[in-house]
Amino acid sequence: MQRTFPLVLVFVFGILGILPFIIPHPVVQNTNDFLLNVFLKILLAFALVLGLGSLLKVHMDKIKRKRENWQYSWVLIGTFIVTSIIGLFGGVDGSGILPTHIGSFSFDIWTIYNNVEVPLGATMFALLAFFMASAAYRAFRARSFEATLLLISAFIVMIGVLPLGNRISPYIPSFAQWIMDVPNVAGQRGIQFGVALGAMATALKIILGIERSWLGGGGS
Amino acid sequence: MKLFDALTKVDRRIIYIILLVVVTLPLIFPSAQSVRVMPPVEKFFNAVDSIPPDKALIVDFDYTPQDMPELEPMGIAILRHAFKKRIKVLAVSLYVQPLGLAVRALQQVTEEFNSVATSNADSIIYGRDYVFLGWQVGPVNAMLTMGESIARFYPVDYYGNRTDTLPLMREIKNYRNVGLVTSLSPSDIPKYWVAYAQNRFGVRVSSGITSVSASEFYPYLQTGQFSGMLVGMKGAAEYEEIVEQNLNVKGRRKASESLPSLTYAHLLIIAFIVIGNVGYFLSRRHK
Repeated sequence: MQRTFPLVLVFVFGILGILPFIIPHPVVQNTNDFLLNVFLKILLAFALVLGLGSLLKVHMDKIKRKRENWQYSWVLIGTFIVTSIIGLFGGVDGSGILPTHIGSFSFDIWTIYNNVEVPLGATMFALLAFFMASAAYRAFRARSFEATLLLISAFIVMIGVLPLGNRISPYIPSFAQWIMDVPNVAGQRGIQFGVALGAMATALKIILGIERSWLGGGGS
Repeated sequence: MKLFDALTKVDRRIIYIILLVVVTLPLIFPSAQSVRVMPPVEKFFNAVDSIPPDKALIVDFDYTPQDMPELEPMGIAILRHAFKKRIKVLAVSLYVQPLGLAVRALQQVTEEFNSVATSNADSIIYGRDYVFLGWQVGPVNAMLTMGESIARFYPVDYYGNRTDTLPLMREIKNYRNVGLVTSLSPSDIPKYWVAYAQNRFGVRVSSGITSVSASEFYPYLQTGQFSGMLVGMKGAAEYEEIVEQNLNVKGRRKASESLPSLTYAHLLIIAFIVIGNVGYFLSRRHK
C-alpha cells in the first residue's frame, strides 16, 4: 500500500495534467481549473511550510553534529527567525502590528530586502566575473582544431556584442549575430529535441509506474 | 624559457585587480555609449509598438538581485516604451524574490512620467494605466489560468486591492485582451510562456534574458515563437537606444552607461586568453 498509493496518485494526476490539452470538454476543463486554482494552491502552500521545516531541521542537525561550517547554520536560523517575525507581524512596509521603526531607522521587510538581500545577491553574482576571467585565461587553450574554432568564435561574439565591434567594422556584429543565429541554433535545436524526447519518455515512465526510483529504495 | 612559462602562470590576484580597475573606473565616471540596434531588438520593439489600444502588455518581472544589472534596464526601457505609447501594462512576478525589484522599476518609470505630466490624462495612474498583480503560488498555474481569467488567478493585486474593482482589469480579462507577454527572466520561464501560454492560447511572447543563457533561446527566436529577444546588457542598451531615438523618451540609461565596463572587461579577458595561448605555444615549441 505504501508504494501502490503514491503510484496511483502519480498516474491519476499525470493523466489529469495531460487531458486538458487534448479534450476541450467543459467537465475536463472545469476539473483542470479546480485543480490549478484550488487544489494545487493549497498543496503548494503546505509544500512551502514543509520545505521551510525541512530547511530548519537540516541546519539544526548540522549544528547538533558540529558538521563542517556549522557556525553558518546559526546565521541562517537567526536571520530566518528575525525576518519571519518582522514579515509576519511588522508587514512588508512596516504597516503591521509590530513597530518596525526606531526614530528614522526602519527595519521592515522592504528595508531588509533593499539593503541586505539586493546588495548581497548582486555581490555574489559579481564575484563570478573574477572567477570567469581567471578560468578563461587558464583553460582556454587552442590545443586542437575544434578548440581553435571555439576560441575564434568566442572572440568574434565577445567583440561583436560590444559597441567597439561596430566601430571596427559593421560586419563584426552581423557576423556575431550569424554565429548565434545559425551554427548555435543548429546545435541547440539538436540538444533541445533530445532533451524534449527524453523528458517525454521519462514522464511517461513515471506516470505508468515503470520508473519508480523517485519512491526511494532504488525501485526495489 | 622562464618568460614563456610566466605567460601561462599569471597570478590570479593580478587578474582580479586589473579586472576590478577596468570594471569600476567606467562606472565611477559613467558615459552612455550609443549602440547599433540588432534585428532581435528591433523585432521586440515592433512587437511592443504594434500592440493595439484595446490590448495590454504583460511584463513578467522574474529577475533577482543577481541578474538585476542586465535585466532591470530592460524592464525600465520596456515600461518607458509602453507608457509613452499609452499601452496598458499588467505586471506580474512568478516568484517571490523579484517582487521588490518589480515595484522599484514600476515606481521609477511612473515617477519619471508623472514628474513631467501636466494633466490627469498625461499621468500614469495605477489601476487605469497599469496594474501590478504581484505573486501567486505556481508559475505554470499562473500561465494556464490567465488564459481563462486573470482576475480568478489574481483575486487581489500586490497592494491588496480586489482586481475586479480596478478599471483596467474590467477591460483585460484574459489572453484574448493581451497583445504581448514579455518575460524578463534569467531562467527557463520564457520557454514555459511559449509552452503553456502561446501554444495553448496563442498569445505572443517575447523575452529579455541574461547573456549567459542566451544561446539556448535563439531557436525560439528563429521559429518566431519569440516576437523579439533582448540579450544581456547589450540588448538592454539597444532597447534604451531605440526607445530614445524613436519615441524621444529621456531617462537615465543604466545599460548604456555600463557598456564601457563590459567593453574593457571583455577586452581584458581576450588579452589574457591571447597571453595564455602565446605562452602555451612558445613553451611547447621550446620543449
